[in-house]
Amino acid sequence: MKNPAALPARILWNAFFWTYERASWQYDVMVIAILAFVWLVPPDWLKDPTAHGTGPIGWILERMR
Amino acid sequence: MTFTGLIGRICMFPLRAIINACVALRIHPNILTFVGVLINVAAAAELASGHFVVAGIIMVVANIFDFIDGKVAVELSAVSKFGGFWDSVIDRFSDIALFIGLIYLYSHMGRTDYVMVASLAMMFAIMTSYTRARAESLIAKCKVGFMERPERIVLFMIGAFTNRMAGVLWVILVLSIFTVADRVIHTYRELRHDSREALA
Repeated sequence: MKNPAALPARILWNAFFWTYERASWQYDVMVIAILAFVWLVPPDWLKDPTAHGTGPIGWILERMR
Repeated sequence: MTFTGLIGRICMFPLRAIINACVALRIHPNILTFVGVLINVAAAAELASGHFVVAGIIMVVANIFDFIDGKVAVELSAVSKFGGFWDSVIDRFSDIALFIGLIYLYSHMGRTDYVMVASLAMMFAIMTSYTRARAESLIAKCKVGFMERPERIVLFMIGAFTNRMAGVLWVILVLSIFTVADRVIHTYRELRHDSREALA
């Protein structure tokens, strides 16, 4: 049986050692991950000097309390 | 078709018209490159003043010039080695100008932490270009790593239009570090491979 940790490790390595072309599906996934980070992470968590608030994640966490 | 490929195709429609207009007016591509950097300096001044949306609009205009210069050079049959060199040098000025705008803003706000984040992001953005240029003097191609200039510019625009510059700077910093590391690893592997082949 193959090592179950091999696939996540390979995905992480391929994301780090980037060799994919623009407009490939891997590129799309990376772009979506970056946009999710930029738009969803609350500015307060990053101590953003120009933006404030808890953002969508903060709003969801607030609702879950 | 991928999502990013579709966006690229949609953006090509207006750009095609601008390229055709520049070709019809026979504007030299080196002039387009230079106009691009001047407009980018104006965007940097707006970033420094904290006017992110205005800076974003100016960045869009500046980067149209950046994007079309190569295409206009091809269509005017004005491709030259100097043009390539000029474009690369001017691009570095444009990159650095935007970072300096943000560094000025954050230092004016007394935010030393983000002065450091922006400075480190600037350092690795420059090293991204340098590692590739230096590597390609030793090996055939060194086009690895995600965070190249087009990605940086689009991220700057997204950060400016949506006021999420802190997140954007973190992304640019981390992915630029990875890109520089990728290029060092790739060059090391290629040179080791070459030296093994020479020994065999």
